[in-house]
Amino acid sequence: MSMSDKIKDLDTFLVYSITLEEEAAERHDELADMMGVHNNPEVAATFRKLAHYSRLHAQEIRDHAKGRDLPVIAPWDFEWEGAEAPESGDMSGVNYLMNNAQALQLAMANEQRAFDFYDQIGRESQVPEVAAMAAEFAIEEKEHLDLLRAWMDKTDASVDEKHFDFDLVKMTD
Amino acid sequence: MSTPGDNVVLKFKDYKSETKPIWCPGCGDFAVLNAITKALAQLQLPLQNVALISGIGCSSRIAAYTSVYGFHGVHGRALPLATGLKAARDDMTVLVAGGDGDGLSIGGNHFIHACRRNMDLTYIMMDNEVYGMTKGQASPTTAPDWEKSKLTPEGTGVRSFKPAVLALASGASFIARGFSGDPNDLARMIAAGIEHKGFSFIQALSVCPTYRPEHAEWKNQVNKFTTGETDNPITAVTRMVADDGMSTGIMYQRDIPSLERPGNGETGTLADFESEFEL
Repeated sequence: MSMSDKIKDLDTFLVYSITLEEEAAERHDELADMMGVHNNPEVAATFRKLAHYSRLHAQEIRDHAKGRDLPVIAPWDFEWEGAEAPESGDMSGVNYLMNNAQALQLAMANEQRAFDFYDQIGRESQVPEVAAMAAEFAIEEKEHLDLLRAWMDKTDASVDEKHFDFDLVKMTD
Repeated sequence: MSTPGDNVVLKFKDYKSETKPIWCPGCGDFAVLNAITKALAQLQLPLQNVALISGIGCSSRIAAYTSVYGFHGVHGRALPLATGLKAARDDMTVLVAGGDGDGLSIGGNHFIHACRRNMDLTYIMMDNEVYGMTKGQASPTTAPDWEKSKLTPEGTGVRSFKPAVLALASGASFIARGFSGDPNDLARMIAAGIEHKGFSFIQALSVCPTYRPEHAEWKNQVNKFTTGETDNPITAVTRMVADDGMSTGIMYQRDIPSLERPGNGETGTLADFESEFEL
């Protein structure tokens, strides 16, 4: 069943959208904290900036929801396509030595999934007001993706020696 | 700190402290922390009515990362500490957390007796199949042929525990297994464990990206326990033994009398308590 079939009204769509953005902000903050704790301030600053953007987007959606009595959905009752909200990302590639280019790749993958989420609902929802709002959010996610691509173009993607963990080689060779 | 009746809606972030985890980036324990705080937020438990007791190890640092009462205890002794707390304050929700080494090796004896007593505790074992804090030695849940530690270059050769089977045999009345890659489902199990009256054991498969990088494959290996939960221990043990250890879900839940606070339930004052120690 597609997301547009699962989300049958505007209030539910708003709860999904707010949760998607709030969890993205939380995840980016979590990543920023991880990098900060492990002395990778450059990448920590990148994730912090991404968290800020997610919070702005969450606030924007909360503004759309003002005055509405939104349903409460337990975390485990959300029917996301994956195990978590689409913009929360896969943590398996995260490493304390990751560089800005890798951080941006992770962020772009997250934004792409968020775009796919809104785009699918925008194109296929049978509820006009849900389809219209989802299409609007999809355009915004596309803009975010373009911004990240531009940011990526200005970022050094090479991996230097400092991004290599000699301890781990010793542990496993 | 909120109090009951404040009508403050607590979000999962409210259950996290300002202390930033020092776990390795990508560690599954972050997801377990999120699952615990999401479960608490869903149940809207007041912060001052919850305590999280932990042992020693990477995962046991979790108590410091929540804003509920916490006690970072002694290696393997989280369960006796929690048992004491629950006996003294049965009005509190007492969670216990720790790793596979803490719970099954150093604290193995306490684990089986905590199951046997079936006290109303929720124990989350964050199982990464390795001692991470001491840089990657085999634990009681490590496969016998794991050769990546210099301490056991040919593997331990010792069969690993099946924690769920051990819990069932020892008397736990709620047994579940979750995965750090699915924190929302893990949160569901933790919330159900908290609501269950008795000893709830939740094995949380938690990836260790540093010493067990092969855990990256777990996301392709875990599967949902499709047979559903049962209250029949024979059915449960049959399924658990046949299981590959990678299926997730609530496996067993049964109403069994739970050891409760001894005495008449009256709470004495601190002065009463101290008077008992007067020379």
